[in-house]
Amino acid sequence: MTTPERIELDCGPVAAIDLALYAAASGDHNPLHLDAEVAHAGGFDRPVVHGMLTMAHAGRLITRHFGEQSLLSLSTRFIAPAVLGDIIRLSGTLAEVADGVARYDITARNAQGTMLATGAARVRLAT
Amino acid sequence: MIDRQWIGFATAPSTIAIDRWHVRLFCQAIGETNAVHWDEAAARGTGLAACPVPPTFLKAIETEHYTSAALLRKLGVPVRSVLHAEQSFEYLAPVHVGDALEVSRVIADTFEKRDGALSFIVVDTHFRRSEATVCTSRQTIVVRNRQESE
Repeated sequence: MTTPERIELDCGPVAAIDLALYAAASGDHNPLHLDAEVAHAGGFDRPVVHGMLTMAHAGRLITRHFGEQSLLSLSTRFIAPAVLGDIIRLSGTLAEVADGVARYDITARNAQGTMLATGAARVRLAT
Repeated sequence: MIDRQWIGFATAPSTIAIDRWHVRLFCQAIGETNAVHWDEAAARGTGLAACPVPPTFLKAIETEHYTSAALLRKLGVPVRSVLHAEQSFEYLAPVHVGDALEVSRVIADTFEKRDGALSFIVVDTHFRRSEATVCTSRQTIVVRNRQESE
């Protein structure tokens, strides 16, 4: 198997039901994600997407290309929150391959190109 | 300003069983459609012994153990003033539906930036199965402190 230089995954647009489901599944019921008024009071136009939902998509970016048990580590720095209605575009760029492990640098952007998160993943390659 | 005496504060470990229905709901929430995560026959069909949890699922197990909101309350930080700044996971062994994990969280660090306008709280979580660590995670929370002038 060749190791792709670039992997991509588009998610969304994030709907209110996605945020409600993620709140239920994750136990993160912060009203910033669910209540437009709270989001406004916090300085956001619309409810904020859980950073962990963006990170879950980053996880899917890896597992759909390399399999369910390929991920050795995943790290994310949240830069600007995605908001309700955003499309989240995940992209991974191969940074290094050593000893059967690939390292990808990951970015998440919205459709306007605003950087939402950056991160890195270490992936065990199939032998 | 968060008192640095909280560094080292650890939650009492508790054991959380990984439930198939919970994993399925999580998959639905994140748009994961691969049934190997909740359907044992589908998992066996691809050569897996059991249903593996999706990459960030353990964050939900961590929350079932002790929420970050509860940690913030303990520190006297209003939950509406915080954002999730960073998150990482190190996966040391696969985790499956049906596993029971012992979970504990510890405040690893807290520090200020921008003359106290921002406080950071770093929380590490350890996930163990039969005494062996299967995953560690680190969450960094940023607190937007209200300024005296506001």
